[in-house]
Amino acid sequence: MHDTVPLFCIDNLNKSFGRRKVLSELNLKIYKGDFLTIFGPNGAGKTTFLRILSTLSGFSSGSIVIDGVDIKEDSSELRQKIGLISHNLLLYKDLNAYENLRFYAKMYDISLREEKISELLQRVELDHRKFDVVGSFSRGMQQRLSIARALLHNPEIIFLDEPFSGLDVHASKILDDILEKLKREGHTLIMTTHNLERGLVHANSVAIINGGKIVYSKRCDLPDLNGFKRIYYEHIGD
Amino acid sequence: MNYMRHIMALVQKDIVAELRTKEMLNSMVLFVLLTMVVFNFAFGSGSAMEAVSSGLLWVAFMFAAILGLNRVFVHEKDEGCLDGLMLCPMDRSAIYFSKAISNFVFLTLVELIAFPVFTIFFVQKSFLSHLWFLIIILLLSNVGISAVGTLLSAVSINTKARDLMLPILFLPVIVPILVAAVKSTELVLTASAIDVQKFETDMIVWLRTLAIYDIIFVLVGFLTFEYVVEE
Repeated sequence: MHDTVPLFCIDNLNKSFGRRKVLSELNLKIYKGDFLTIFGPNGAGKTTFLRILSTLSGFSSGSIVIDGVDIKEDSSELRQKIGLISHNLLLYKDLNAYENLRFYAKMYDISLREEKISELLQRVELDHRKFDVVGSFSRGMQQRLSIARALLHNPEIIFLDEPFSGLDVHASKILDDILEKLKREGHTLIMTTHNLERGLVHANSVAIINGGKIVYSKRCDLPDLNGFKRIYYEHIGD
Repeated sequence: MNYMRHIMALVQKDIVAELRTKEMLNSMVLFVLLTMVVFNFAFGSGSAMEAVSSGLLWVAFMFAAILGLNRVFVHEKDEGCLDGLMLCPMDRSAIYFSKAISNFVFLTLVELIAFPVFTIFFVQKSFLSHLWFLIIILLLSNVGISAVGTLLSAVSINTKARDLMLPILFLPVIVPILVAAVKSTELVLTASAIDVQKFETDMIVWLRTLAIYDIIFVLVGFLTFEYVVEE
């Protein structure tokens, strides 16, 4: 699981919105098969960092190399390997669950037969609502469908931006099970959260981001929750 | 080939979603028809009406187009779907072309519904012998409106006052197309009263203007869309 060649090499990454610097001289290496959780308070730059890694945002300077490919040179190929689960659903509420998955399958150039879509929906326990418009789903059900959408093309790298936000206990349990399975299968998972307890459940690698900088990172032999809380507050200064 | 498949999948999705809710189409059709009824009462019939009818037609179409264009990226943005599309392994200009095609289809549909009403209210002389010219004018104008409108809609969606921003950006840019559309439509509606040679010469000038602006706007949209939607 723990490779020595990093999958992500992030060097001196800077990102500004106008005059406001959001990420500053950020350096980080992420290894294949890792489950990295990035912690930080609101406004620390976690989501911006994740959006840059997932090719949704550009950056001002620095370099990001993913699996040997410079993100600025060939992000289109890279996107085939990327999945994103976010508190934003990325679903069309006027289409039904089946139509949403079929549409995204077309966009990823994969031919999904109806059985395969049903199988995906079963995985998130939504098979019985396959032909209902997504707008009629509860928030938890929509989030579960969003997970199915993100896993449609079996991505190697999965970004999770506050994925548990707004989830009920049942949906959280489903997501937990899926994350554990993905981790076992060797996918690389990168999650942002400000919830220390939730973030440590699956992680084998952690980083703390504050003021646009990585102020702490550790891979393997992670401290327990109480130990990590002390480290977190030391670095966040609260 | 994949590029075309992506565009067609996106257009199909937009059309299915719109036909399910009819949010955009209903408001556009209602706006155009109401405008024509109001103009009909305001101007009555006669020579004054004949002189301004092509202008009225395009004012109604242009504002109906703005109503539709304002909604183009709203769903994509509000549900985060634009991120979903931008994550897909494709050239992002496919999103631009698909949205422009969807806008073109919706606008053409609205015009098909509204034009018979326009002829009943405002047209006094038959123009059937020049109908083909009118169809070409509508199609060329719709290409330009959709091309520039889609790009500016993507620009305005990231601003706070997005509903207000689109008309402010769109109307000054669309003036050349609006002028060419009004002038060429006027030629068609008054064709029986003017010399054939003058009709053809003037018509070629306006159609050429429309075509050139279409090419420019489509190229600008294609080349800049990715930078517009990326933060």
